[in-house]
Amino acid sequence: MDALLRDHLLTLVVFVPAAGAALLLLFPRSAPAAARNVALAVSILDLALSLPLWTRFSVASEGFQFREKVDWIPQLGISYSVGLDGISLLLVLLTTVLTPVALLFSLSHVEKEVRGYSVAFLVLETGMLGSLVALDLALFYVFWEVMLVPMYFIIGIWGGPRRIYASMKFFLFTMAGSLLMFLAILFLAIRYHAVTGVWSFALDDLYRMTFTGRTETLLFLAFALAFAIKVPVFPLHTWLPDAHTEAPTAGSIILAGVLLKLGVYGYLRFALPLFPDAAMRYAPWLGVLGVIGVVYGALVAYAQHDMKRLVAYSSVSHLGLVVIGVGAFTTMSLSGSILQMINHGLSTGALFLLVGVLYERRHTRELDAYGGVAAVVPVTTALFLIATLSSIGLPGLNGFVGEFTILLGTWLSPHRWWTYAAATGVILSAIYMLTLVQRVFWNPFAHEENRELTDVRPSEFIAASVLVVLMVWVGTRPNDLLDRIRPAVETLQKNVASKQIASVKP
Amino acid sequence: MNESFVRFTHADLVAIAPEIALVATGCLILLVEAFAPRLRRWFATLALAGVAVSLYFLLHAPIGTTFGGRYETSSLTQLVGLFLGGAAVLAILVAKPYLERTGEERGEFYALLLWGHVGVSLMTRGLDLLIVFIGLETLSLAFYVLAGIFRRISASSEAALKYFLTGAFGSAFTLYGVALLFGASGGTRIEELSSPGLAESNAVAFGLLLLLVGFGFKMSLAPFHAWAPDVYQGMPTPAVAYLSVAPKGAAVLVLFRVFGAVFEHGMPDRFRTAIAALAILSMTLGNVVALAQRDAKRLLAYSGIAQMGYVTIALAVFGRDALAAVLVYFFAYLVSNAGAFAAVSALYRDETKPHPVGLLAGAGRRAPFASAVLALCLFSLAGIPATAGFIGKFFLFKAALEQGFYALALIGVLNSLVSIGYYLKVVYILYMRDPVESDPPPPLAPADRLALALCAAGILALGIFPSSLWEIARHAAATLPLISP
Repeated sequence: MDALLRDHLLTLVVFVPAAGAALLLLFPRSAPAAARNVALAVSILDLALSLPLWTRFSVASEGFQFREKVDWIPQLGISYSVGLDGISLLLVLLTTVLTPVALLFSLSHVEKEVRGYSVAFLVLETGMLGSLVALDLALFYVFWEVMLVPMYFIIGIWGGPRRIYASMKFFLFTMAGSLLMFLAILFLAIRYHAVTGVWSFALDDLYRMTFTGRTETLLFLAFALAFAIKVPVFPLHTWLPDAHTEAPTAGSIILAGVLLKLGVYGYLRFALPLFPDAAMRYAPWLGVLGVIGVVYGALVAYAQHDMKRLVAYSSVSHLGLVVIGVGAFTTMSLSGSILQMINHGLSTGALFLLVGVLYERRHTRELDAYGGVAAVVPVTTALFLIATLSSIGLPGLNGFVGEFTILLGTWLSPHRWWTYAAATGVILSAIYMLTLVQRVFWNPFAHEENRELTDVRPSEFIAASVLVVLMVWVGTRPNDLLDRIRPAVETLQKNVASKQIASVKP
Repeated sequence: MNESFVRFTHADLVAIAPEIALVATGCLILLVEAFAPRLRRWFATLALAGVAVSLYFLLHAPIGTTFGGRYETSSLTQLVGLFLGGAAVLAILVAKPYLERTGEERGEFYALLLWGHVGVSLMTRGLDLLIVFIGLETLSLAFYVLAGIFRRISASSEAALKYFLTGAFGSAFTLYGVALLFGASGGTRIEELSSPGLAESNAVAFGLLLLLVGFGFKMSLAPFHAWAPDVYQGMPTPAVAYLSVAPKGAAVLVLFRVFGAVFEHGMPDRFRTAIAALAILSMTLGNVVALAQRDAKRLLAYSGIAQMGYVTIALAVFGRDALAAVLVYFFAYLVSNAGAFAAVSALYRDETKPHPVGLLAGAGRRAPFASAVLALCLFSLAGIPATAGFIGKFFLFKAALEQGFYALALIGVLNSLVSIGYYLKVVYILYMRDPVESDPPPPLAPADRLALALCAAGILALGIFPSSLWEIARHAAATLPLISP
């Protein structure tokens, strides 16, 4: 057991949820309570297993840690190869935190087909974790696509009125990008075989390949498109508001919290280091799209009457900021972007959760249906306010550190003007988020039926407070995270720089 | 006439023992029906035993050619034999409860299925175009009858007539092609097609095109596909489960054999272009038309047309890796497509009526196991990773990209995006629509349950651990004298 925990910790973390899902299938469908509790227990167990990843992660060492490698399709050099660096470490922990939070919220709110619901979340967790730790492109692609299926069911079965349209749109958009990436992955491996005579899909090997000209551009675009759809980068974002609005609350938490980050993660892990020249050539475009996303997302969010849609568009805006940081490509802006992904996961996760709390009681998300409910639901209000302040970047909470680092890092890059646009987004976010708080919780009391609202239940309170505690922790001790991010970012920049020099040579 | 063709040697008998076992089992079933009709419920078991014995003989037959170089036992034919046997086993398992439900449990069904299976087997093992043709006709005759075996159902009779007419048309093309090749090469053995100079001959080119058309009919490859939706709709579902898988695999193998023999030194571009055009047409037409289908069996028919388009990409690419990819693809197609038809057979109560997809509404709750397997099969047909279908497409597109067929691969993946539209539509109806039918569906018979479980296990096993099958397929493909282009 000790050896298992020592040598195969990462594999355990990835597959415990899937094993839990298989276990759940043995339960009768008629025992929803058991399914709920088992799923929650499995996700908490997975969280517990993932904590040693944090403590045993060595800040000093470069490269991937907790590596494991087993042949999978040896004839083609495809292996089950996993590992963690600072970037994936934080996202893995975000995933293992948000999944129990989402399931905890669902405890009291999901009545329909509980077993299937729990199975879908656990399979989804394995898919997300697998994509984050995979160091083999074929393995990554499998996990990447496997995520789609449970999310499709989560939106389609447990979603809102337009769930069918939203789930189909989500699936087709994501798949459209992925299929081109699939061809690009095959092409990469075939090229590697043609050059070296050996088959390999391992990231370490493929990193060493250099491409030039049109080939590199096309390959880069195939990868970048798949990731840009996932983020989503403006103008590929249209699936997101639909998916978010229709998804059940827990689905939104995971979707905003983790799934979107996988787009940025994929860009940093694959598109950028595999095709640095093309990536650098297109970086200004990426930054510009990020700028548009920031401003456009914020303006559209301001115009929303539905709380969930508002938060969904705020995600487009916030991820636009992350994209700007990636496009600027300084150590600081990249670190900020990665940190901000974690922050966005925490704050938006909390916002979706609390919107869900109100929705489950009043069955509407219209801003106008509320007003002055702070007196009725003081705890919900307090939690929502903290999440809002975190989201708009109040110093002392997590959002501030991330935004500030991105802005500073972008200022140091050649694209200084992006900073102005990005800062506008920060201001706009304060406007639309505070307006939301004002219209829902403050303002004069407008609707008598809101007198009946009940405050958070214990399970909801625990779920939300976990996120609030993490917000404060990241806000006050950001270096705990940044210390782990920085070596990974520096390695990434070093790889990119060395490859660029290599490809300049004849 | 060659003397060895008339006189059987012991080796010849051993070589065709698998087929003899099948024919004998079919006859035995008919005899039992005549003399002891009360033993009817054992027919399926008997048929399964026949297939098992046949597979035993096939796997233990000595490797080599018999009947004067006209009949082959190789790791390739053994692997294909396993694939065909798998299709037969699934069809028989699904047939038993199906026939019981419809009250048509008769020996003919199993006997004809086994004899059709003999025909397919001959197609894959024959090294002589005449044997291949005889196999094709044996298959066709058996299935013409199977299509119309329910005389009281008008759709069934219509299916039989349509299948007969188009099938006869396809056979005529094939036979004319065989005649032209015979005229050009002076022999009917496939081997003789590789004599020098034949690859440039116009008669051979024309003969090959006719063969392509004839087998295109059997594969339901567009534009020779029009029969498939109508016939699938009227034919008993278990027979469709077999017909939609096994003969297609055999036809592709024959095409690989014949083209491989003629174009030893690489396929000329005009052929490649023609085949690629067929592939693109079949993928696109199948997928786009499937989007508009409302009947489950018609939808699967068009999905099959599209799937054969993907397979045809491999024929255009040619070479050993392409053949190995096709073999893997067909194993994936077997578990996914036969599984889908098995689920359709289990989910619809009234066999005599059409099978509108809408009737499956809410089946995810009313018949959870069959629905889950159907969904899994559809995800596999769509090529979602961790299923067999993804592995099939993975190797197929890898072979295409490796030989520089970028456009073909790109059109292929774009097509699979289109296909998600209709595969997901069925999943949506299964799980996200409220039921229209109030009465519960028929309880799942043990044989159905077994067939579905086998398919689900196959889809996941092949999807997660594909490397041994790929190794076997590559080894098997190497026994065919194909030159990589």
